[in-house]
Amino acid sequence: MSPIRAAVLAVLALAASGAAAQDAFPSRPITLVAPFPPGGVADLTARPVAVAMEKVLKSPVGVVNKTGAAGAVGMQYVATSKPDGYTLLLALSSISIIPEADKLFGRQPAFTVDQFEPIALISADPTILVVRAESPWKTAREFLEDAKRRPGEISFSSSGIYGTLHMAMELLSHASGIKLRHVPYAGAGPALTAILGGHVDALASGPVVVIPHIKAGKLRPLAGWGDKRVAALPDVPTFKELGYPDAEFYIWAGLFAPKGTPEPVLARLREAARGAVNDAEFKGAMDKMQTPIAFKQGEEFRAFFAADAKRLADGVRRVGRIEEKK
Amino acid sequence: MLETFQNLYLGFSVALAPGVLLYAFLGCVVGTLVGVLPGVGPLAGISLLLPATFGLDATRAIVMLAGIYYGAMYGGSTTSILMRIPGEAASVMTCIDGYAMARKGRAGAALAIAAVGSYVAGTVSVIALMFLAPPLARFALRFGPPEYFALLVLGLLVLAFMSTGSMVRALAMAVFGLLLGMVGIDQMSGYFRFHYGVVELGDGLGVVPVAVGLFGLSEIMLTAGQAIRPDVIKPRFRELLPSRREWRESAAPIGRGTLLGFLIGIIPGSAHIISSFVSYAVERRLSKTPGEFGKGAVAGVAGPESANNSATSGAFVPMLALGVPSGPIPAVMLAAMMVHGVSPGPLLIRQQPELFWGFIASMYVGNVVLLVLNLPLVGLFVNLLRIPYHFLYPGILVFSIVGVYAVNNSVVDVWIMLGMALVGYVLRKLDFETAPIVLGLVLAPIIEMSLRQSLAMSDGQYSIFFTRPIATTLLAAGAALVLLSLRPLLTRGLDWRTRLTLAEKGEKV
Repeated sequence: MSPIRAAVLAVLALAASGAAAQDAFPSRPITLVAPFPPGGVADLTARPVAVAMEKVLKSPVGVVNKTGAAGAVGMQYVATSKPDGYTLLLALSSISIIPEADKLFGRQPAFTVDQFEPIALISADPTILVVRAESPWKTAREFLEDAKRRPGEISFSSSGIYGTLHMAMELLSHASGIKLRHVPYAGAGPALTAILGGHVDALASGPVVVIPHIKAGKLRPLAGWGDKRVAALPDVPTFKELGYPDAEFYIWAGLFAPKGTPEPVLARLREAARGAVNDAEFKGAMDKMQTPIAFKQGEEFRAFFAADAKRLADGVRRVGRIEEKK
Repeated sequence: MLETFQNLYLGFSVALAPGVLLYAFLGCVVGTLVGVLPGVGPLAGISLLLPATFGLDATRAIVMLAGIYYGAMYGGSTTSILMRIPGEAASVMTCIDGYAMARKGRAGAALAIAAVGSYVAGTVSVIALMFLAPPLARFALRFGPPEYFALLVLGLLVLAFMSTGSMVRALAMAVFGLLLGMVGIDQMSGYFRFHYGVVELGDGLGVVPVAVGLFGLSEIMLTAGQAIRPDVIKPRFRELLPSRREWRESAAPIGRGTLLGFLIGIIPGSAHIISSFVSYAVERRLSKTPGEFGKGAVAGVAGPESANNSATSGAFVPMLALGVPSGPIPAVMLAAMMVHGVSPGPLLIRQQPELFWGFIASMYVGNVVLLVLNLPLVGLFVNLLRIPYHFLYPGILVFSIVGVYAVNNSVVDVWIMLGMALVGYVLRKLDFETAPIVLGLVLAPIIEMSLRQSLAMSDGQYSIFFTRPIATTLLAAGAALVLLSLRPLLTRGLDWRTRLTLAEKGEKV
């Protein structure tokens, strides 16, 4: 081999290895942690996202359910994972609530929101206010007026204290100056059962769960928490239209990486997320679950996340510790 | 009526189509497997397989998931009877008399009765589900927190008859269990209780790790600690089948267990494990020979095993008729439907008749499949007992650890199980029974939650328990039970429990 040829080969080899280092990510499978059990919103969003991201990244993306303590176990796991882009988190709105609740009780927080790098918002579903069909309130106005007249007498069920369904009602109560009676249940399913059984008067819920009961004439929708009306319920106004813009609330799902993940890796992940939400198969999966895709990334998502976290943190603080309220 | 049969015909034409039949069979096999494996229960099995069903159509997915669910109830009894390890939570009660039967060489009979009981319960409860789903579901919805609380109080009173010997010892264990049940996040206030900085303890102590540790692993340690090595049980073939007397003694418990399990299963939020506890207690109360319980009473296997099986069908009632989840497993199944674009709700039966009736028919088929699958396996399973202890026990230990770990990918659960094994060992050395601990652990969170929810509903007024007819009736029944149990006190007679304790003491002296 001539020295020139050797040199050329060496340069080529260097270039090749340089290129390899550049798109080295991902060189092994990525784990996407869903901090809730299979069948929940986080899990059902994470799975199609993972499949669609695989197509862009050309590398396997596996969903792992790390459940426990209302999601804190999985979120803490990702927060303390190596920030190399191989461990990602699919979190719901509760990511901003858990550290606040920890603070409220003077606990060492399991994690803080600063430990995450937001990649992309995937979906955002506004909650809607439902009451039983035979209840006296025909409109949101009637409901709010009656609640003002009888503070603390109209009851609602929730998925648990400081849970998303509780926070939605708290934001509304604060914005409209009403006081409702809170009956927490262990999860969104039991909370729905409670209103259908007539054990509570109202419920804030994701649309997809209550729409079948609305169609069957068991529940009546009064208003939604979103910026816009829910597509499947075009006649149901938003609280914003009714003059309570501060009540805006979504159950959203977003993609996060641990803080400190290198920028090139983040860029690749953002690209993969953008590719994923535009994937036809992904769109089909979300459509079947009637969950609206709401893609945001970069500064836009950061701003949304920060504003949402602040609203929720204020809400948690307003609810306060139970024994302080008397 | 005619319409029902036409619908059922439609259902069978769906369920017997080769594609659907295959998935029903698959579900039953997987269910039996997760039931047999210690630690892994139906919820874990369904959760693990849920993503695999996304590629199927809704009917196949739901038929397979349901197969896993009721299949696990069949399989759960196997390790309970053979090795005193609950294969899943609802088989805890089977550990007591099932294992005692196995020690007497009646393992085959116990397994066969558990399988037949499960079959009868499964089939009868599907019939009930088919004819009564909509009205029953509406009734079940009337069970709010106050009704549930009243029911649990009544249940606790019945359960006081659950253990042998000293009432004080049984109560002490139940209270210990209630204390264990206090660990974790308080759903009503958001407080963490007794978590010592371990985030995983936020969900409390799982029933499965605690039960496997208390029952199974402690048994292994006790056996290992015996001075004389116990003989390996060598079952003979003719002992595999239950005797005529055993059949006779299990018929009524199977019937009662089926009814009880179905009724308890319908109520949203109840757990199957409660149905088996209640069934055991009822059988013991009604038995002419309550002293036999704990020493290998056939009724103590037949009742609870039938009850936990028919509770699964009961749990489908609110799910199918109204689209509301009656527990964590139906919740996952509802999610599976939503993934396929089927909206579960009150209109499901009308809008998706193929799905609903196909599902019902598949349950008839599935129960037959499970019986055919499980009866021949009895011979195989019983022969596991021939394995010498120094091979068998390390093997069980490994399976228990892997199984318990696999459910949540949690090492904390493994430590809980090992800790409970030690606790169980010490307690059993001191002649305490461990079943009431599991009972306390299961009941503590739900009884507390329902009481506090009731009071949240009424703004702190206890009158809520006396203004709602179902709750009032249940509490009145409880009061009647207490009065009945006071009768021996008044008539200066001894009740069976005291007589039994005296007799046992007499033996020991």
